[in-house]
Amino acid sequence: MRIRSTTAGLVLPVFFILGILIASALGFWETESSKIPKTIEEGDFAGLADPADIRGSYTLADVSKAFDIPVETLAKAFGFSDAEDPAAVKVKDFEEVYGVTGDLEIGTDSMRLFTALYKGLPIETDSTTAIPQPAWNILKKEGASDTETLDKYSDRIVSLEDFKDATVSSDQQTDTEDERVIKGKTLFSELLDWGVTKEQISGVLGVPMGPSGMSVRDYCSEKEIEFSAVKDALQELVDKAE
Amino acid sequence: MKKKKTIRKWVQLVLFLLIAAISVNHTLVESGKGVTFFSTASLHAVCPFGGVVTIYHLLGLGTFVKKIHPSSVVLMIVVFSSAILLGPLFCGWICPFGTFQEWIGKIGKKLFKKKYNRFIPYKYDRYLRFLRYVVLAWVLYMTAVTGKLIFQDYDPYFTLFQFWTGEIAISGFITLGLVILLSLFVERPFCKYACPYGAVLGIFNLFRIIPLRRNETICINCKACDRVCPMNLPVSTSRIVRDHQCISCYECTDTDGVCPVENTLAFQSSRYKEAVK
Repeated sequence: MRIRSTTAGLVLPVFFILGILIASALGFWETESSKIPKTIEEGDFAGLADPADIRGSYTLADVSKAFDIPVETLAKAFGFSDAEDPAAVKVKDFEEVYGVTGDLEIGTDSMRLFTALYKGLPIETDSTTAIPQPAWNILKKEGASDTETLDKYSDRIVSLEDFKDATVSSDQQTDTEDERVIKGKTLFSELLDWGVTKEQISGVLGVPMGPSGMSVRDYCSEKEIEFSAVKDALQELVDKAE
Repeated sequence: MKKKKTIRKWVQLVLFLLIAAISVNHTLVESGKGVTFFSTASLHAVCPFGGVVTIYHLLGLGTFVKKIHPSSVVLMIVVFSSAILLGPLFCGWICPFGTFQEWIGKIGKKLFKKKYNRFIPYKYDRYLRFLRYVVLAWVLYMTAVTGKLIFQDYDPYFTLFQFWTGEIAISGFITLGLVILLSLFVERPFCKYACPYGAVLGIFNLFRIIPLRRNETICINCKACDRVCPMNLPVSTSRIVRDHQCISCYECTDTDGVCPVENTLAFQSSRYKEAVK
C-alpha cells in the first residue's frame, strides 16, 4: 500500500474527527476539569470521594455532586445563599471574599474541612483553616461527625462578618512583619525583605513573581492560583531564610 | 508536483490558525468576551502531549495532572493511532510550533542559501538529536513527582500561543527567543534537539506500518532527497528510513516531493520488487 500526500493530509484530520466523535459519544471528550475528586485509597473509607482533593476551581454544584451535599447547604455554610447563582460560586472565591483574619483563613481548605466533617470522612488540615459559624451550625445539626470530633475544631469557628469587614491595622501589620508569618496581606516585597529570592517565589507559584507592592493573595487570586496551596511552601522558604 | 506539495502547507496553515484562535478565544472567554459557539478549551486541553505527561498519574492515582483534561488523552490516542500507521505525521503536518519554525526557517534559507541547515556535520549532529530523549525523561519524571506541568515554564510552544496572558515565565520567553534565533540557521531546531513529544512520536518510526522506502535498484543517487530533508536524514543511502527523526513531511518522495525518478521513493507498506535483469 502506497500513501500519497493527499491521503496523508486526510489521515490525521479524519482520525481527529473520528476520535473526538467517538470520545464524545462515550462521554470522554472533556476539555475542562472533570471536577471529580480522587477516591480515598486505604482504610475504612476506601473508595469514597476524598474531600482533600476538592480544588479551588470546583463550583458549589461540583462539590454537591461529588459529595451529595445540597448546594443550598453549602451556600448557607459559606454565606453565599444570596448570591445570584450559588451553584456557580467557585471554592477559590472564598479566599477572595473572606481571606485571612488573624491566624485563621476561610479558603479552599475550609470547604475541604466542612465537607469531611459533614460526611464523617477523615481529613488533615492546617491549623489556620477556619470554619464559618453558619457552617458550624450545620455540622452540629446535620453533619455525620460526632460531637467529640467536632469539638476538636471548635477553636476554628469564625464569624463571616468579621472576615468581610476585616481590615489590617498598622499594629497587625507590624506583628506580621515581626513574626514573619505569611498571611493574606503579605506583600511580595515583604517576602524579599525576609530573604526569599524572586526565583524561589516564582518556583513555588509556577508563574513569575508579581509586583513587589502587591499582596501574595491578591496575585494568586489574579492568576487563579490557590493561595492556600502555595502558602505553606512560601512559609517554608521564609523559615529557611531566617 | 507543486500543487501536491502545497497540501501540507495548507494543512499546516489551517491548524496554526485554529490553535491560535482557540488560544485567543480561551483568554476572551475568561474575561466574558469570547465566542461561545467556538471552542472555549484551553491550550492544554487540545495538546496531545498532555495525555503523555499525565499517564503516570492517570494509571497510578486515577487523576489528571493539574490543568490536563480527558481531551488530551483522547488526542494522544488519536495521534498514536496515526503514528502506528504513518509515524510522526503530527510533527510534519499538524504541530503549529513545527510550522512556526518552518516559517522562520524561510528567512534563514534566504540568508544562508545552500549553507542553511548544514552548519553542523551530521556525523556529530546525529548524536545531539538524542538530547530530546533526555528532555522527555526529565519532563516525565518531574511531572510525575510534582503533579504539575513542569515543562510549561520552558515550553516555547506554550509561550508562542499564550504570551499575552501573563502566565509565561521568563524561561519560556528565553526558550522561544532561542528557538527563533536557531531557526535562522537550522531547520526545526526545537523538533530536532528538545521536543519531548517529537521524541515520543519518533519512536513510532521504528515500527510504523508504512515507512519511507527507497527503490535502490533504480535510484540515480542524485541526493536531492538528502538536500531537501528538513531533518538532515541520509535518505539516499537507506533502503528503508526508520530514523527516529523522520517527520513524514513528504518533501523527498517521488510522488509528492523532489525525487525525480518515478517509483523510487515513497511511503509504502510493501517492498519494491527487484528490477528485472
